[in-house]
Amino acid sequence: MSETRDGLLAERAVRIGVQAADKDAAVRACGELLVEIGAVEDGYVAAMLVREQEISTYMGEGVAIPHGTNAGRALVLRDALAVIRFAEPVDWGDGAQVVLCVGIAAVGEGHLDILADLAEVLLDPERAEALRSATEIKDLIRLLESDGEVEATA
Amino acid sequence: MSTVAASAIKKIVVACDAGMGSSVMLAGHLKRQLKNHGVVVEHAPVSAIPDDADLILTNIGLADRVRASAPDKPVVAFQIFLGDPAVEKVVKAIKEGGAIDV
Repeated sequence: MSETRDGLLAERAVRIGVQAADKDAAVRACGELLVEIGAVEDGYVAAMLVREQEISTYMGEGVAIPHGTNAGRALVLRDALAVIRFAEPVDWGDGAQVVLCVGIAAVGEGHLDILADLAEVLLDPERAEALRSATEIKDLIRLLESDGEVEATA
Repeated sequence: MSTVAASAIKKIVVACDAGMGSSVMLAGHLKRQLKNHGVVVEHAPVSAIPDDADLILTNIGLADRVRASAPDKPVVAFQIFLGDPAVEKVVKAIKEGGAIDV
């Protein structure tokens, strides 16, 4: 399990303290990081901006999960996640302030488990706060990948 | 508004435009919650909802497109992806029995 996940979210795909003036800049930063790690073609960044304008990917607890449109799927080279924690909260509209973005590139279903983990983190205010305030890349990754086992025995 | 008996639901489909982000997150979350209750949870683009879906969950902004795409399927619309009362009611009905407003 962890091998798959290491492949999905690499340490080099996590950035802490990135500056973004607004929502578009934040989404673009996520997209450019996905391009940089070789997960998507350049055009995917535009698809992410389109998707974000159609329906916000804000998930609550200061976290958004920007990703492309269905049409943009052809620009995905491999399933991967990119995580950015911003230096300052970014205004996401409708009163939402985003501190952390999980950018998604996916062709298949490989990221379903890690997103289900993230859902559980976001539904737990204490873990969500820990995610928002993590200062180390390793801590961020651990928080995002932590919960599958607990749920399995519940 | 009508209702669907929770016991009749064997497959839930979370519909979204890309089927890559928020719908995957919700589908993964529901899959874990409902795995011991004999209910399959999948996600799909609005334009490709499987014929054997018994219930469709979708963001309120996509509900009209879902109803146009799958006119004979019961649809529950939600406003937020995590912790929405409409989705919680579906989960509760499946776990405890009862009817779901659609």
